[in-house]
Amino acid sequence: MSDRVPRWLLLLVAIAVIALLPLVFTGNYWRGILIVCALNVLLAMGLNLVLGYCGQLNLGQSAFYAIGAYASTLLVMKAGWPFWIAFAAGVVLAGLFGAILAVFGTRLRGHYLGIASLGFAVITYQLLINWIDLTEGPLGIYGIMPPPPITLPGLATIDFSNQATLFYLIGGTAFLIYVLLANLVRSPIGETLRAIREDEVSAASLGINPQKWKVFAFAVGAAIAGIAGGFLPPFVGTLSPDLFQIVESFTMMAMVIVGGMGTMAGPVIGAILLTVLVEVLREFGELRLMVYGVALALVVLFMPGGIVQGWNALTASLAGRGSREGTKAERAR
Amino acid sequence: MSELILIAQGLHKRFGGVHAVADISLGIPRNVIYAVIGPNGAGKSTLLNLLSGVYQPNAGSLTFEGRDLAGLRSFDRVGLGIARTFQKIRLFKNLSLVENVLAGFHNHHRIPPWQYLIPGAARRADRDRCLGEAHELLKLVGLDARADQRAGSLAYGQQRMLEIARALATRPKLLMLDEPAAGLNASEVEFLLGRLRELKSRGVTLVVVEHNMDLVMRVSDHVFVMDHGEYLFDGLPAEVQKNPKVIGAYLGAEFA
Repeated sequence: MSDRVPRWLLLLVAIAVIALLPLVFTGNYWRGILIVCALNVLLAMGLNLVLGYCGQLNLGQSAFYAIGAYASTLLVMKAGWPFWIAFAAGVVLAGLFGAILAVFGTRLRGHYLGIASLGFAVITYQLLINWIDLTEGPLGIYGIMPPPPITLPGLATIDFSNQATLFYLIGGTAFLIYVLLANLVRSPIGETLRAIREDEVSAASLGINPQKWKVFAFAVGAAIAGIAGGFLPPFVGTLSPDLFQIVESFTMMAMVIVGGMGTMAGPVIGAILLTVLVEVLREFGELRLMVYGVALALVVLFMPGGIVQGWNALTASLAGRGSREGTKAERAR
Repeated sequence: MSELILIAQGLHKRFGGVHAVADISLGIPRNVIYAVIGPNGAGKSTLLNLLSGVYQPNAGSLTFEGRDLAGLRSFDRVGLGIARTFQKIRLFKNLSLVENVLAGFHNHHRIPPWQYLIPGAARRADRDRCLGEAHELLKLVGLDARADQRAGSLAYGQQRMLEIARALATRPKLLMLDEPAAGLNASEVEFLLGRLRELKSRGVTLVVVEHNMDLVMRVSDHVFVMDHGEYLFDGLPAEVQKNPKVIGAYLGAEFA
């Protein structure tokens, strides 16, 4: 987040934190929450590419999550594919549906695109419930195995049947995706996406085809949701449509907005904060779901840029002019 | 006259019942400053939107360097070397000045695809080259000292200059400016005039839609006059100034 700390150091710290987390939180309950955090970080990062960087309202993220989950699981259980190939197919399929939705949906803008993508999520959810021959419907699919052990010849066998290694797998993937996305949004492609977010007509006057790049953002964002989807069933052990209710799309959006749209750290912070907060408040029953609404309302009212921008503004006003220039330089990078 | 870079023949554009551009034909010679003038509502901006591809004409043809522009959208035409600015300023207000200009290099990056995800030498070299060029362009329009500021924080006249720098990043052969002097004070107009001459000396062909007659008369090589969407007159600035039809269109028939 700052120029003063070298990037490689931040990456090392992140790796150390991911490595230490399951050692600090030893119970299966908390390790499970760690995994849910990592899944939500993936989902929020994918959504942020579309919503935060490209400026397109996307309420269909829960559908891409579902496509990744169902495609990979069904390919393993009904077609007998090896796990990792089925996993990759689920990711590709989710990305493909993201692209298809964008090809048709991005003729619409703003709220209309939001409604179209929401419609896509509704249709997907209804298909999961009603296409019983394929999905087993509301009863769900049971007995889903964890990812098969990976054997490193001469070294060790990594067994994913315990929560710690499963967290290393999913958290490590989230970390990898974070690094790749951070590189992407700092590249000229990031400049292109931000240009479309700021002003499409202007972007087109610079040779940017807005439609093409919106499709790109939707496809990549959906594929990342597909990755989270591929990890979900082996973690839970079961798969049912209620994991992909429409409200999940709004939950992911709340994570992105609360953390800070259009920043790399924002969705990570938002996803972890809201996931943990909801767990901590579990004793309050369904009331705990109000956390999303309340957090969203508070952020929109008092910190429209989310936690990351709020933090930047705070440190800038504390440190005075010097660091304000610093945050600008960071934005310019 | 030298070779024509852009040729329009019989352009028509209708919006419902309004004939915004009616049967306009023109030929723009290479490396001139070509002014398009006319009273409010004459169809100048519509013509510019037709040339830049924001609108497609209802009838007529357009060729740029001998190439038919029919059906090419604005972003396609940028690739051929046609750039523009907007009458109502359309900057990326939340991005810095240098980021605004960098976005204009969209078609000019040389980075192997995988380096978008894992930066390597080619991406760093591209970054250095583009940053260098961006600062050069900001210098050209007198804004390099503010490179890291938000574009939205600039004064109005500076925003117009930034839009020109951003359009230049696309490396246009033909640059079309929609009322670049609108809202500028006298000293800013002088600066703009100097920049237009500088761009011409660098080989850029300029189309300038403008209301500031002093600027038009001093800087342009050729003036094209429209009124009510139609062709009225075209010629050298001095000829236009004396033409009774033009005077009549601006001041009313009794002055002609």
